[in-house]
Amino acid sequence: MPSIELNQLTKRFGAITAVNQLTISVEEGEIFGLLGPNGAGKTTTLRILACLISPSEGSAKVGGYEITHEPQKVREIVGILTENPSLYERLTAYENLDFFAEAYGLSDDQKRRDTIKELLESFQLWEQRNSKVATFSKGMKQRLAIARTLVHNPPILFLDEPTTGLDPESAKEIRELVTRLGRRERHTILLCTHRLEDAAKLCSRVTIINKGRSVAIGTPEELQGKIAGKPTLKISLREITSSIVQAVKEIKEVREIRSNNSEGTLTIAVDDLNASTPEVVRRIVHAGGMILSVSEIKPSLEEAYLKLVKEKTP
Amino acid sequence: MRIGMVMLIFKKDWREIRRNWQILLPMVAIPFLISVLLPTLVIVIPGLSHASTYPLENSTAMIRSLPGHVREELAGMTPWQVLIYVMSLYFFAPFFLIIPIMASSVIASDSFAGEKERKTIEALLATPISDSELLLGKALVSFVPAMIVTLASFAIYSIVIDLFSFPIFQGRLLFPNLAWTILILGVAPTVALTGIGLTIMISTKAKGFREAQQISGILLLPVLMMIFGQISGVIVFGPIMLGALAAIFALVDLVVFYVGVKLFRRERILSRLP
Repeated sequence: MPSIELNQLTKRFGAITAVNQLTISVEEGEIFGLLGPNGAGKTTTLRILACLISPSEGSAKVGGYEITHEPQKVREIVGILTENPSLYERLTAYENLDFFAEAYGLSDDQKRRDTIKELLESFQLWEQRNSKVATFSKGMKQRLAIARTLVHNPPILFLDEPTTGLDPESAKEIRELVTRLGRRERHTILLCTHRLEDAAKLCSRVTIINKGRSVAIGTPEELQGKIAGKPTLKISLREITSSIVQAVKEIKEVREIRSNNSEGTLTIAVDDLNASTPEVVRRIVHAGGMILSVSEIKPSLEEAYLKLVKEKTP
Repeated sequence: MRIGMVMLIFKKDWREIRRNWQILLPMVAIPFLISVLLPTLVIVIPGLSHASTYPLENSTAMIRSLPGHVREELAGMTPWQVLIYVMSLYFFAPFFLIIPIMASSVIASDSFAGEKERKTIEALLATPISDSELLLGKALVSFVPAMIVTLASFAIYSIVIDLFSFPIFQGRLLFPNLAWTILILGVAPTVALTGIGLTIMISTKAKGFREAQQISGILLLPVLMMIFGQISGVIVFGPIMLGALAAIFALVDLVVFYVGVKLFRRERILSRLP
């Protein structure tokens, strides 16, 4: 049974359609990415699923509960990391977790203390447990905010831009955390991001959202292949001459060739890389070319993303 | 409704308030002004310096308009005793309605608007705490400190006036009396709750603490009207009138909280994030 199901989910704010007939199904234990530029409707989708705002049309189920009929049940089984850490800065790290643990129903004092200690230790914040959150760095706040989403051990996590605004080291730490939560601890994670790196590294499947509408869905690899095209061949030469370019162009399987004389590289698009590479190399050598290296360039998710967002933007 | 959740909101907010001087300072400063500074300036200092020649004319309109039973109380008093009696027991009474309203409005204004401003509202609204638990918790954290401040101010005011008037009235204590007991234990809490309910509603709509506080300033108008009414002699706060006021405000409180819960929408709060 899917953990999260969206069926034609739509949200309008006056004349603006923020989420437009979104239909997605996320399996249990999956890290699913909502990828899109700012204002694409990702946060609105998350807010609807967390029962913070209601949909205008369509329906959604989270953990088997219909969001409009059983919002209280949905809130109990979901942990949400909002765009901002949403922490009480005048309270200490421990007091923050203590408040949210009780708010999510952990009424047993001993159990709550044990859970908080375990989380703070695991997020390397135990030493700072009695420090006010106002004194924390951005990375520490983000770690504490993620700890807060886990304080009631929810099976489903909604993470909104978990690495935004962090330095590369902190962002890497957070990515490792999310990977651990999804792959090892089997939480179902819905991850909103506009960072392709996060989507490519963390998500098992991604949907690209633009103007509230899902424009593509699949694994990062599938999207790379389907949308951005096939891998290309990159050949570095000591010198590029017109006879070398002409020799490559004459090969039947070559669809496109781009030369960069300053870098001394040829980028060649062929139908079947494995079948065509030996022939391309042979022709270049025959035309007097001195090959320095031959490599395969896979299209990135970034290319797929940019292509889709550009295509769908009027 | 789960009382545990109401208390949880109360405890969390109280912890935050204790560490926020921007909220604590006006909560303490205004009651100090009304309970110590104002009576000292209006009654004690002039009394100590010109006890026998203090002009009674300034208060004659108020004294003349006092009801018969109050004028009976004044029978046999010297003009100086009349002045102290009327000023301390009647003139200052409506000021003690300003204290619970102002003290609670600082916290109530911060209740939701402050959470929006500090960007903590989304995580709070995402918890399974129900709307009524959330509202009652926020109301309680405004009400309890406001009432503590009101009671403390009343105690201090009573001590200041009793210490000053004790020798003048030949050992008779002016405070506490029945009217002031009804005022502090009946009218002040019910008026405070009305103010809190309305301010919280304003706070859910406002984008920030300052905006909420400025709008909720309107709630002081009826109390200011009472002060002018009392000074001009139109209204006199006797026990019956105060009892009636307490009953009316108790009914208003029920209506305000019923409407407050009905109008509370998480979506509307989020749509007005700064």
